[in-house]
Amino acid sequence: MKQDGIMERYIADKFETKKEGNVIVYNIPSGNIIEICRELYFGKKLQLKTITATDERNRNGDFKIYYVFGVPEENIFLAPYITLKNHDEFPSITKDIHEASGYERKIKSFFGLNPVGHPHPRQILLHENWPDKILPLRKDFSWQERPMEARGEYKFQQVEGEGIYEIPVGPVHAGIIEPGHFRFSVAGEEIMLLEPKLGYTHKGIEKLFEVLPIESKIKLSERISGDTSFTHSLAFCQAIENLSDISISERVKYIRAIFSELERLANHFNDIGFIMLDTGYNFGGASGTRLREIIMQWNERLTGSRFLRGVNTIGGVTRNITNEAKTELLKVLKKLRQDFNEVIEIAESSSSLHNRLAGTGKLDRQIAVDHGAIGVAGRAVGIAHDARVEYPYAAYDKIKFDIALENEGDVQARWSVRIKEVYSSMAILEQAFLNIPADGKLKSDKMPNLRNDSCAIGITEGWRGDIVYFVATDSEGCVNRVDVRDPSFINWPLVGHVGKGNVVPDFPLINKSFNLSYSGNDL
Amino acid sequence: MSLILWTMQLVIVPALSPLSIGIVRKIKAKFQNRIGASIFQPYRDLWKILHKDEVISEDASWIFKFAPYLIFSVTVILGASIPIFTAVFSENLLSDLLVMIYLIAFGTFFLALAGMDVGSAFGGFGSSREMTVAALTEGGLMFSLLALAFSGHSTNLFVIAGTVSSLPLLSLSPIFLAFGAFIIALLAETARFPFDNPATHLELTMIHEAMILEYSGKRLALIEWAAANKFLIFLALGANLFFPWGISLSTNLIDILFALAVFLIKILILCLFVAVLESSIAKFRFFRLPDLLFTSFILSMIAISLII
Repeated sequence: MKQDGIMERYIADKFETKKEGNVIVYNIPSGNIIEICRELYFGKKLQLKTITATDERNRNGDFKIYYVFGVPEENIFLAPYITLKNHDEFPSITKDIHEASGYERKIKSFFGLNPVGHPHPRQILLHENWPDKILPLRKDFSWQERPMEARGEYKFQQVEGEGIYEIPVGPVHAGIIEPGHFRFSVAGEEIMLLEPKLGYTHKGIEKLFEVLPIESKIKLSERISGDTSFTHSLAFCQAIENLSDISISERVKYIRAIFSELERLANHFNDIGFIMLDTGYNFGGASGTRLREIIMQWNERLTGSRFLRGVNTIGGVTRNITNEAKTELLKVLKKLRQDFNEVIEIAESSSSLHNRLAGTGKLDRQIAVDHGAIGVAGRAVGIAHDARVEYPYAAYDKIKFDIALENEGDVQARWSVRIKEVYSSMAILEQAFLNIPADGKLKSDKMPNLRNDSCAIGITEGWRGDIVYFVATDSEGCVNRVDVRDPSFINWPLVGHVGKGNVVPDFPLINKSFNLSYSGNDL
Repeated sequence: MSLILWTMQLVIVPALSPLSIGIVRKIKAKFQNRIGASIFQPYRDLWKILHKDEVISEDASWIFKFAPYLIFSVTVILGASIPIFTAVFSENLLSDLLVMIYLIAFGTFFLALAGMDVGSAFGGFGSSREMTVAALTEGGLMFSLLALAFSGHSTNLFVIAGTVSSLPLLSLSPIFLAFGAFIIALLAETARFPFDNPATHLELTMIHEAMILEYSGKRLALIEWAAANKFLIFLALGANLFFPWGISLSTNLIDILFALAVFLIKILILCLFVAVLESSIAKFRFFRLPDLLFTSFILSMIAISLII
């Protein structure tokens, strides 16, 4: 069998494996974790998708830490896990695999488990006013009580030298954007060091996932990052579907792909426009928002929600796409492509725009690889990851398209990746409309039963990059833990690295070219 | 009659300056496929801000409180002393080219001081950028106008306007070169593209807006108004020193009305130019601005060498 092949290739014989849905879990002694992760990551070249902990003290008296690796062609995930019984320390793999850093810090902040050997294990996401001893993702945390306000201190890195001064920016900004603080150390106009400090929109999402009823969990996933409502809830629904034996009709799969692409189109139009606007190229800026609005109005017409909320449900979708909407939308797409072509043609002939974009905010490829860069930022340095191709979900296994790639890693490259993805999204939509089966059940009538003591992964390619949901159930088949990995969580540290060496007035443009979610990162 | 003229000359810049801003915004909106706000919106904005409460930082010194009045008065005085539609005030001491340039610099100086005064990081780098740009602009501005002074053999703005209008067409080429230099200086001084983006909300990219971020209420209104005045003054200088045809030399009512109409048309053309420029290019990266300002300086040097 195919899966046996995977086990032989990736997992040593001595471990007892259990295959559950799309995940193969196996327990390993914590002493071996570094070596095993190294082997999977460097030896087998698998992608690290998330590292997360579960608190199972009330059942087994231990904490578990899962290291989730994706096997692209097979669309399956390996999740070796270690158990922590009667102690709260685990070996850190950060020194070997740098991208693990954020996950381990998160486990430390929210579970109070110590990554031993982590070079810089300071608190993440929780504000310094949050008391150290209160660990929100442990089961004994009472989430409805307001904790005492602590008065911790946050120390920024400092650069010393003649003429170097600091500019604190945010968390409240002049424009209407999400809150985040950026500390610049600059010499004249040149950025010496940039340290982003996030966590201002932390709202206890992962805790709420444990306590809310299942219908509200879907709503919650739609609100993690508002502009990615559809793909976030899709990833959550897919994780739950993987935990049960529910079957999904072909039509639903196509509808899900169509809505995913509409969301991507709207956001890419917006970003392409805003990148131009931030250079002061007003024509481009206005065109971007205009094109986005066309899609948003279509979203509203098709689903009643501009952000495609309330569409996904476990086992299907709540909204159908009528035949007349389909034919009309195909016509609109044709016009839209022409329209977009014209805008991009004008923009690309502007030398002043090109001058601002090219060479600005260059991301070093090695830094990107070390941080496990994904999504637009990763593809702009030639890291070819796209969950639609690697872990095909919905109807993506039947749709052909190329991963949009650039090599330079500057603002121009990220801009071009988005332009290519706009074209591929349009092509995907056309293919999907052409092949969508005429009928099929929209959704199942009853909530499925979930497997006990099990876990599953839901992965989708949001417009920023892949979104990963890890869902674990308890012995009664209730959701016990939901770990959300928004692409912004991986890509935020890159912004700090990219700022260095640029001039301060270029930073807003660089930041916009990444356009990461604060809310999705802070959870 | 002269009293009426004097009053007209005094109020025309403050009265029309918000309109010039409104017109530029309207044209820009059209270029972006938007309808845009009415051309009278800047008046409403000023009226609104004038009636708002003010918040002044505890750390603000007298400079912060006093600067808006000073900057505004400077622009009103300047507006009253440049050739706009009539040349009857030529004896005015303030109508001297050097006095005018340094009055402008005086206003900029206090604006930069006010920007730094409250100690916010944005004000600080706004002022630092403004001073960098202003220092480099001064050469281009000064020498482009000096080119005119050489052809008019006087530094009096009215005399210059009179002389240039009587020059034969063939000898105008250096004047056009100087005008090119002046336009670059105009864009830099009035915080326009490609130097600064008057419509931006990105605090890190601002120059002029960064300096005035801490202002609110009537002081903000005065500063905004002064910025509009400065814009119109520069447009008027460009229109009436380099293309002075149509200025009325008598106090005859018909002449003056005609001169006023010509003036408005010239301003409209310049507004259109600025708006088209702002719609068609991106803002330059900060470190490319000196190149542009040196171009301005060199253009005026060539103009002067051609004239002498």
